[in-house]
Amino acid sequence: MKYLLHFALVSLLLSGCADTPLKEASIEDRSVKTVPSQSDPAQGGSTQPGDASAVGTAGAPGAGVSSRALTEGAGKAPTSSGVETHGVVVQSPEAIPLTATGEKMAQADSAKGGAQAEHADALKFDPQQVLDPKDPKSPLAQRRLLFDYDSAAIRDEYRTLLEMHAQYLKNEKSARLILQGHADERGSREYNLALGQRRSESVYKALNLLGVPDAQMEAVSLGEEKPVSEGHDETSWAQNRRAELLYQGE
Amino acid sequence: MFIRLLVAALLVLSAVPAWAAMTIEIVGGASNRIPLAVLPFSVKPGNGVLPAPVVAVAEVVAADLGRSGYFRMVDSQDSASPPDPQSLSLPVWKGRGADAVLMGQVLPAEGGRLEVRFWLLDAVRQTQLAAMAFVSSPAGLRVVAHKIADLVHEALLGEPGSYSGRIAYILKRGGRYELQVADADSQNAVTITTSPEPLISPAWSPDGQRLAYVSFEDKKPVIYVQNLADGGRRAVAKFRGSNSAPAWSPDGRKLAVTLSKDETSQIYMLDLDSGAATRFTQGGALDTEPLFSPDGRWLFFTSNRGGTPQIYKASLDDGGIKRVTFEGAYNVSPALSPDGKTLAFIHRRETRFHVAVMDLASGQMQVLTDTVHDESPSFAPNGRQILYATLVNGRGVLATVSVDGKIRQRLSQSGDLREPTWGR
Repeated sequence: MKYLLHFALVSLLLSGCADTPLKEASIEDRSVKTVPSQSDPAQGGSTQPGDASAVGTAGAPGAGVSSRALTEGAGKAPTSSGVETHGVVVQSPEAIPLTATGEKMAQADSAKGGAQAEHADALKFDPQQVLDPKDPKSPLAQRRLLFDYDSAAIRDEYRTLLEMHAQYLKNEKSARLILQGHADERGSREYNLALGQRRSESVYKALNLLGVPDAQMEAVSLGEEKPVSEGHDETSWAQNRRAELLYQGE
Repeated sequence: MFIRLLVAALLVLSAVPAWAAMTIEIVGGASNRIPLAVLPFSVKPGNGVLPAPVVAVAEVVAADLGRSGYFRMVDSQDSASPPDPQSLSLPVWKGRGADAVLMGQVLPAEGGRLEVRFWLLDAVRQTQLAAMAFVSSPAGLRVVAHKIADLVHEALLGEPGSYSGRIAYILKRGGRYELQVADADSQNAVTITTSPEPLISPAWSPDGQRLAYVSFEDKKPVIYVQNLADGGRRAVAKFRGSNSAPAWSPDGRKLAVTLSKDETSQIYMLDLDSGAATRFTQGGALDTEPLFSPDGRWLFFTSNRGGTPQIYKASLDDGGIKRVTFEGAYNVSPALSPDGKTLAFIHRRETRFHVAVMDLASGQMQVLTDTVHDESPSFAPNGRQILYATLVNGRGVLATVSVDGKIRQRLSQSGDLREPTWGR
């Protein structure tokens, strides 16, 4: 089980970024990694924390990027090819610092995770929408991940979704996410609670690896208690084996 | 007159709750049922006036015993109990097919209380088997009746009955969840707490005074403990992540609980005085559904550490862990008989979930039910029956099955019943 989970997470991360050996995923690492050619994630430390904080403040309402981030980012602009390989077309210099600061992970993972306006543009999302999970038209409005029977492995199809949420959370330092795991109705309620917990933890770890700090998330389980589909057949059960992302205040 | 009205009003009030619609259906029964006549108890007014409803004592006793599957009720509605057992003609009752006769009286006692006397007579040998008197408030007459049923059961079968215990369960109706406590016959239901969010896993404290349970009212599972006497409740485990599966230690001072605060669901010991949680299980597998053995030496629990969910037991002396269930790929929700010798649990066969029991000494397992969505088994105080929840026509009902699988009862009512647990 542990290996499965591990495998799922690793593949989740790697599939998006063949180029850099992604590692832990602190924000600092990421900005370093935006420079695929020279990047040794290990050096991330020194300058990057600055990036991170810049994003933290800048990212808030998706407004601007702080000048510092921009400056730092500018230096890395040429390396943005790394980003592009993932289908993200970086169009403006600003975009790079954003990716850089924010989220290597966006780049890392096939990346639509663009938190900032420019990045989002590249992804063909309306920037405002991308940045507001409460907007029903925003891709961030999608909050549900389904799971296979007796599995907590995150399906490939949700990679982008998680990247976008990670991006948002890293920019919105005040945002808090509650991850709710769910199970289908078969069997013990308490065991199903534990299964749901494993699912929410699976999403938690994925977001963690994408750079979302522990302080912004909590993984909980509602077990089989809150089905979205009330039927007693596989069609319903498949809908009910899920994890849901809830932003605080929702 | 006033007392009569008052008592009548009390009885009516207590009748209002959910159980009005509760029905009990019996399936199966012992092959050799004892024919028993329960005579309506006579009412001796003395110098006061007794409320009419007290005659219901005999009806409650007869309903308890009749439902158990061990007795066959001989029609006796037309014959009130005589003033004393000597006046009873046992040969007449033997002639009507009764092996035993229960008769009794209700008399006024000090302070508006009532005295209930009963005699159990052997119609074949013409001897007295048991006799006793209880003093109770009028409101406590049902409790007295259940105790009489326990004593009659024991006198005739040699083992205690379990009619006087209480059950706790969750009723879901109208989009709300109610934790209710009722007599073992599902009457006298009282709502302990109610919530728009799910409630699960009620657990009786050893003294029967408190209930621990899991509430989702905070958008995540949190463990509460509530006093039955004053209704006071407090969150005892509200750690980061999920908090669930409370199980009382035999001394009532600790709860074994499942927390996810450090890693995935693991078992902790929660000290109720200090609130401190000490981790008990280790490793990345799912560990949950802890349960203390009655002697306090073992902690049973469910874990998927072997690949599939199975029941294990950990020694509370040295921490050594042994796997208990082996048959099948899904064995969960352990419950122990009061003597600690029999394990009840939910066993999956293909896609069906049944109540099963295992004799812990021999490891011998037996599936007891033919229902297919069974959950939450718990033993009656006498260890002879198992209470569980199941689905009938898509609706949650409570059911009991005797440990030999022969006698089954089903309790249902409007709304979904689930998560039952039998207290003392």
